[in-house]
Amino acid sequence: MKTARPVVAGIDAGGTMTDTILVDEFGTFTIGKAATTPQLESIGFLESAIEASDYRGIAIEDMFASVEVVLYTGTGMLNVLLSRSGRNIGLITNKGIEDMVLMGRGLQSWGDYSYADRLHAVTHHHPPPLVTRRNTHGVTGRMDHMGDEIIPLYEHEVEQAVNTLLDKEVEVICICFLFSQVNPSHEILAEGIARTILTRREAKTELLSSHQVRPVIREQSRLNSLLIEAYATGGGRKQLKSIEKVARENGYRYGVQTLQSFGGLTSINHPNLHETMVSGPIGGVLGARYISQIIENDSLVVSDLGGTSFDMGIISKGQIRIDQEPLIGRFKLNLPLIAMDTIGAGAGMHVKVDPLTKKVSLGPESAGSEPGPICFDKGNLVPTICDCNAILGRLNPDYFLGGKVKLNVDLAYEKFKETCADVLEVDNVYDVAEGMINMLDSEAGVALRRMLSAQGIHPSEYTLLSYGGSGPLHLGGYSRGIGFKDIITFQFAAAFSAFGCTTADFQKRFSRSVHLDIPLEAPFMELQETVLTINSIWGDLKSRALEQMVSEGHTADQIGFQPFLLMRYTGQLEDVEVYSPIDTINSVNELNRVIETFRNIYKNINRSVSDYGQTSVSVMEMGMIASVEKIKPRLKKSKLGKSKPEERAYKGLREVYFNSKWEKTQLWEMDEILPGNEIRGPAIIEHPATTLVIHPGDEVFMNEWSMLHYRHQE
Amino acid sequence: MNNQQMEEYKLLVEGQLPWPQTKNLMSSYKDRDRFFKILKIYQDKVKWDEKILLPIGEHLFIVQKGNQRLVKCTCGHEFGDYRKNWKFQSVLLVRNKVEDLESIYPHSDVCDPSWMEIREFICPGCGTLLEIEACSPGYPITFDFCPDLEGFYSEWLNHPL
Ligand SMILES: [Zn+2]
Repeated sequence: MKTARPVVAGIDAGGTMTDTILVDEFGTFTIGKAATTPQLESIGFLESAIEASDYRGIAIEDMFASVEVVLYTGTGMLNVLLSRSGRNIGLITNKGIEDMVLMGRGLQSWGDYSYADRLHAVTHHHPPPLVTRRNTHGVTGRMDHMGDEIIPLYEHEVEQAVNTLLDKEVEVICICFLFSQVNPSHEILAEGIARTILTRREAKTELLSSHQVRPVIREQSRLNSLLIEAYATGGGRKQLKSIEKVARENGYRYGVQTLQSFGGLTSINHPNLHETMVSGPIGGVLGARYISQIIENDSLVVSDLGGTSFDMGIISKGQIRIDQEPLIGRFKLNLPLIAMDTIGAGAGMHVKVDPLTKKVSLGPESAGSEPGPICFDKGNLVPTICDCNAILGRLNPDYFLGGKVKLNVDLAYEKFKETCADVLEVDNVYDVAEGMINMLDSEAGVALRRMLSAQGIHPSEYTLLSYGGSGPLHLGGYSRGIGFKDIITFQFAAAFSAFGCTTADFQKRFSRSVHLDIPLEAPFMELQETVLTINSIWGDLKSRALEQMVSEGHTADQIGFQPFLLMRYTGQLEDVEVYSPIDTINSVNELNRVIETFRNIYKNINRSVSDYGQTSVSVMEMGMIASVEKIKPRLKKSKLGKSKPEERAYKGLREVYFNSKWEKTQLWEMDEILPGNEIRGPAIIEHPATTLVIHPGDEVFMNEWSMLHYRHQE
Repeated sequence: MNNQQMEEYKLLVEGQLPWPQTKNLMSSYKDRDRFFKILKIYQDKVKWDEKILLPIGEHLFIVQKGNQRLVKCTCGHEFGDYRKNWKFQSVLLVRNKVEDLESIYPHSDVCDPSWMEIREFICPGCGTLLEIEACSPGYPITFDFCPDLEGFYSEWLNHPL
């Protein structure tokens, strides 16, 4: 057999584990895992890459010499932001709004809190600002919302501010003026003044202005984007560079790529690196989009259950929802991010019983990878969901991470009894542990239902994908009773996000805020003018995108362009992202075609009853995505075999606790299950990186693509 | 008793606990004996020996002295029986003139003293500002808190008083 050459290495460093997926030229893949090392991410990166290469039976050097794309998504920048270990920055803004940084947006003080804490206003707290008030200088000058100059920029005040900030030895000077997304001339002028002073003083200070980072309406979010770019990307880029260094030292010949939060790959030299700050979780949605083409259902719900969070997303009729103004690290940003709903629920979640009220609760804290759950025996003594699974026999104590971690089930039992069962005064510890698991399952299930009903979606048209290290462990529980069309999980569930990242293409996305109202009965001349405006903006964005793509080594003929618009029915508050069906709009008729596309997407997202019929529309933002295709992993298709699994897949029986009693449960090795096989619960299918629990009466079937279909008992 | 936890509570009482830990304490369950742990921290802090029964302000406690229960300041000054408003035993400073109000709100708008006055209750023993009232002139001095000590101990704390 010819050994296939690995061509893509995708590495996803999550909060707990770093997953590597190696894809070869035929699209088959192997997976490696290692603990994430937040201090120096390249350590975990290399370990996990070595493990993936081991599974393939090649040396790490051969792997790196062979691959053409190394793509890395990590949490480095987010960590810099959360630990407030970024650069010392200064800000120049309009006189009169200097306190903008301190005031922030109200929801930043509770946006990521649990429901209980949102209600308890005493816990609300603004995130510490990234730039101090003393380093914020207001200068006279004002642009209005139409881009007309109301007060000219007082240049001597800019000079004074720059000199003061330089005296304070800031590392970056940020410039953010009101309405610079409409008219950036004051920012450009201030930047010129600052640059002259920098040259004269031979200072190495960086300059950044908001119209370059994100020329988009709403100054709070624009300012946040600017500040985070200035504050966090220095450290984040250092992490990425160290990854690249390690890859190169081991024989890799190209530049490392990373993923932007809207789903496109880019070089780690990407100018606005904060756009890659949140990229790991969205890999799952990209992977789902890819799976949807195989299973021929373009309506999917994705669910990712990891150690600390349960992330959910929706693809409706092929359309991925983009959140234009997400909350990241407690800051509202103007940053297109694939929309995901998250609740704090995961296998590492602490389970607790209030000694006073006997109320049982999950989290919000979780054990993380170090010291991990009690059963890891590394010092943690607060029980977690993982411990409950171990107590009930659902996890194999000798096969966790393929046997790398031996689970101390007795210790978990003892501590769980002491802090939970005894406090509740319940004698049967197992019932309490199962209750905890049911609680997590139902929280996740309720979150799914809530997301579905908020979108007006009926689950019977949707396929649920379940992944993440703990997804298959709880899948049977959290999907029960919702009524999905189909439920699918994967042998590589634990690395599905990393897999999804490798399905991405190289992309750049440029956009600009506009405000174009297109009234229903606009005179022809007015529409004609709108057409011209749209084309000139698209042309402008296209040339910027082309320039950046070429600078990263792509050739012009490889690059495809997709113009898009953010549109809404005039007067609404939310935009819909519309990929234009045509490259340029040359006539009023073609403009109408774009509007028709918007109406259809709007109907798809919000159901057909939401169609407004004849109403004016507005364009709020215009953009251009430039893409170059990249080789993708391919799932292997095999013939369906017999329904009984092979003898070698069978691992014996274990007593597992289900529905308040111990059941003799069959154990199977996941990698030995073949297409066509059917397994009836109670059963457990084990994999070094995950465990699939099949509840009594439920059934799992492996299809020709080696995907596992979970079927609930009728 | 867990020492690390006591250190944390001590910082909390002193207002020195960093926000993330403070938030964590707020959001998680109380340990059953939290009240007594906090009492112990206060008891260790004050220089006198009377047993603290209940803190009723940043500097004020209800203490057991012989068979009496008194309000006592951190400095040791005693305000008498806890069922009587301790404010009547304090030094009172009323700011009801513009210049007095401006002295605490310089370069700023102040209230109209014919509509509102500020009353400052100060400990005669140590001069610490113990409590403030902002109310219309003539409004009676409020009795902030007359706790049901017996009920609190027997029904909430399950502990003899
Ligand atoms: Zn005193």
